[in-house]
Amino acid sequence: MDNQTANSIVGFMMVPLGLLGLLLAARAVDVEIEIFGYGLVIFAFLFGFSTIKRVYDYRDAARAIAHKEAGHG
Amino acid sequence: MASRGFSHATIERNAFLLIILAILTISIGGLVQIVPLFTIETTVEHVKGVRPYSPLEQAGRDIYVREGCYLCHSQMIRSLRDEVERYGHYSLAAESMYDHPFQWGSKRTGPDLARVGGKYSNDWHYGHLIHPQSLVPESIMPSYRFLAETPLKYDNIAEKLKTLRIVGVPYTDEEVAQAKADLEAQATPGADTDALMKRYPKANLVPGNGHEVTELDALVAYLQVLGTMVDFTDPSAENPQQ
Amino acid sequence: MANVTTGSAPVTYNEEVVRKFIIAAIFWAVVAFAVGCYLAAELTWPELNLGYSFTNFGRLRPVHTSGAIFAFGGSMLFGTSMYVVQRTCQVRLWGGSALANFIFWAFQFFIVMAALSYVLGFTEGREYAEPEWHLDLWLTMIWVLYAIVYIGTIIMRKEPHIYVANWFYLAFILTVAVLHLGNNMAVPVSFFGAKSYSLFSGTQDAMVQWWYGHNAVGFFLTAGFLGMMYYFIPKAANRPVYSYRLSIFHFWSLIFLYIWAGPHHLHYTALPDWTQILGMTFSVMLWMPSWGGMINGLMTLSGAWDKLRTDPGLRFSVTAVGFYGMSTFEGPVMAIRDVNALSHYTNWTIGHVHSGALGWVAFISFGAIYYLIPVLWKRDAMYSVKLISWHYWTATLGIVFYITSMWVAGIMEGLMWRAYDAQGFLQYSFVESVVAVHPFLMIRLFGGLFFLLGALIMVYNAYKTIRGPRSAASMLPNAALAAGE
Repeated sequence: MDNQTANSIVGFMMVPLGLLGLLLAARAVDVEIEIFGYGLVIFAFLFGFSTIKRVYDYRDAARAIAHKEAGHG
Repeated sequence: MASRGFSHATIERNAFLLIILAILTISIGGLVQIVPLFTIETTVEHVKGVRPYSPLEQAGRDIYVREGCYLCHSQMIRSLRDEVERYGHYSLAAESMYDHPFQWGSKRTGPDLARVGGKYSNDWHYGHLIHPQSLVPESIMPSYRFLAETPLKYDNIAEKLKTLRIVGVPYTDEEVAQAKADLEAQATPGADTDALMKRYPKANLVPGNGHEVTELDALVAYLQVLGTMVDFTDPSAENPQQ
Repeated sequence: MANVTTGSAPVTYNEEVVRKFIIAAIFWAVVAFAVGCYLAAELTWPELNLGYSFTNFGRLRPVHTSGAIFAFGGSMLFGTSMYVVQRTCQVRLWGGSALANFIFWAFQFFIVMAALSYVLGFTEGREYAEPEWHLDLWLTMIWVLYAIVYIGTIIMRKEPHIYVANWFYLAFILTVAVLHLGNNMAVPVSFFGAKSYSLFSGTQDAMVQWWYGHNAVGFFLTAGFLGMMYYFIPKAANRPVYSYRLSIFHFWSLIFLYIWAGPHHLHYTALPDWTQILGMTFSVMLWMPSWGGMINGLMTLSGAWDKLRTDPGLRFSVTAVGFYGMSTFEGPVMAIRDVNALSHYTNWTIGHVHSGALGWVAFISFGAIYYLIPVLWKRDAMYSVKLISWHYWTATLGIVFYITSMWVAGIMEGLMWRAYDAQGFLQYSFVESVVAVHPFLMIRLFGGLFFLLGALIMVYNAYKTIRGPRSAASMLPNAALAAGE
């Protein structure tokens, strides 16, 4: 599996994960599930955005290398 | 090795073969030791007197698990002479048959509690849990004063009993329906306890603080029933029952 | 270093995830050791429980055990297995860097959530499997993804043979999955509440728990770390593994025998005698493959013993194998029913666990860390070889204090509990044994602090290495792609 496909799959999985977290936090009957629910939301949010950042960082790096090699040629 | 027909290299070159053989190898021991415990009837011989925990005792047991008491106290008297003399009759399998999860423990930083029930008065337990060193000066047990200051949450006690029924504890419909009333009756002095005592013989009535049931009340009720269900002075107690 | 030419195309390994796991392992090591020291102090001076629910021994103890086993040990196993599988299969980690990155963060999230739930009082009440059902499900998800990534990489390998270290890592991954699922069967009271009740009760529950508990030792803390031994010792010593046949014998007999050993935690209890006897017999037999593995590890150094003088990182790995041999001798002895009658429930068990956890698990990890940091961050060497040596001696001294004090304390407790006076009565009350072990608990704390100090030296050394200059070789143009990953 190449990096971009993997990034997309893993990134989009954060949506159901975050929603599950919201559901748990909203209907929790004890503090533990509430914390876990909010934790999941924060986790999905941070991880989702960091994955987007990774995608662009990777593209930038690839472009920089391509540019460098073109310059040498 | 290769000349003998079979070579380990065959396994090393085939990931699926390696995985399947490894899973088979690790399965045998567990299957042989665990499965018969569920099928051989003599594993847990039925003993007269063992009953499910009353709602208050079960609530206290949940607190016992929550606070990690099992990390310092065992609930398993081994069949060794000195243990039987120190703690009482060795523990029978039936005595923990309604324990989800089991709390036999693995370390005695403090003494065994399998038969602590009835050994000390309720007052002793309240005093000891709030300030252990006031009764046992050399004790290294932490204070559990906060249990006395925390009201017990028991709105879901019927749900808990129902869940325990799913995993095999034979609570009746009536016991589930009366769970809340039984819990309150056990912790309220002067309450009508006839129904409670009929459902849960030998249940220990705890005095409480007069206005609400605390977590400490539940824990003491649990500790006071430990090891008391079987009457070892009755010679028929240990005979297998139908 | 990250580029290896196989045939024509260079392979770029995923080292980012390994670096993250190594940093996490070092971090959690310090946390776990520090909490352990605090707990040791609580047992010595009970006032340190402070009277709060969340600072009490009963709630903090799982933070220490899970921190050491799963956070520190687990991060080491994830990190090194992902490193070793790529190198020995000559392919990049399967599943792309995003999946590996997710496994890393999801596991760290698990650790933080589990620690938090312990201090809040949410536990299944099962030793080393305390997290409640929702966290168990989360860990199951991580484990399945981990197994897919690991096995996927093996299947894509360019080497015809699967290297011996991978057998051990594979057995660890598969067995821990089976154990985790088997031991955490529970029914939650509510889908939106954390409380659950275990599916099994009493005797059966005890057997399932110790089938899990002892094999958490056997497969998490032994098989996984043996994978580490089979890769890093030959690498650091620059020698092949001593005996290929011994590796085969070691692997299959170890994983076959270990799974039977659980009932030795339940001698003289209400567990049926036949199960106890089986557990004892297999525990004693386990001594053989364990020592076979030890010999295989130690003899790998034959012809390279001089390296122990110059490479203190390798000294950690080799001492670890020595402690492995010692613990795997002590273990079978303690599994004999008559010895167990004395040792069970006492501090001897605590000492035994720590000679394995500190001497074997932590030392083999330190050896791997000192090998990996210069490789992963492309440095010539660790910042200071002298500081590795200091770490080595402080940690070793700490272990010696720890296990000798626990031996004395444990045997003393065991003897006091069964002592009779001239009239035929029990000679000591329980609390007299509590008083008697007090000085030894202080020595144990002292040993723990030494071990923690050693870990802090490692943190400083690692920090200076990573902040220091890169090696000249990594500055070459062909290293640029690896740096940009």
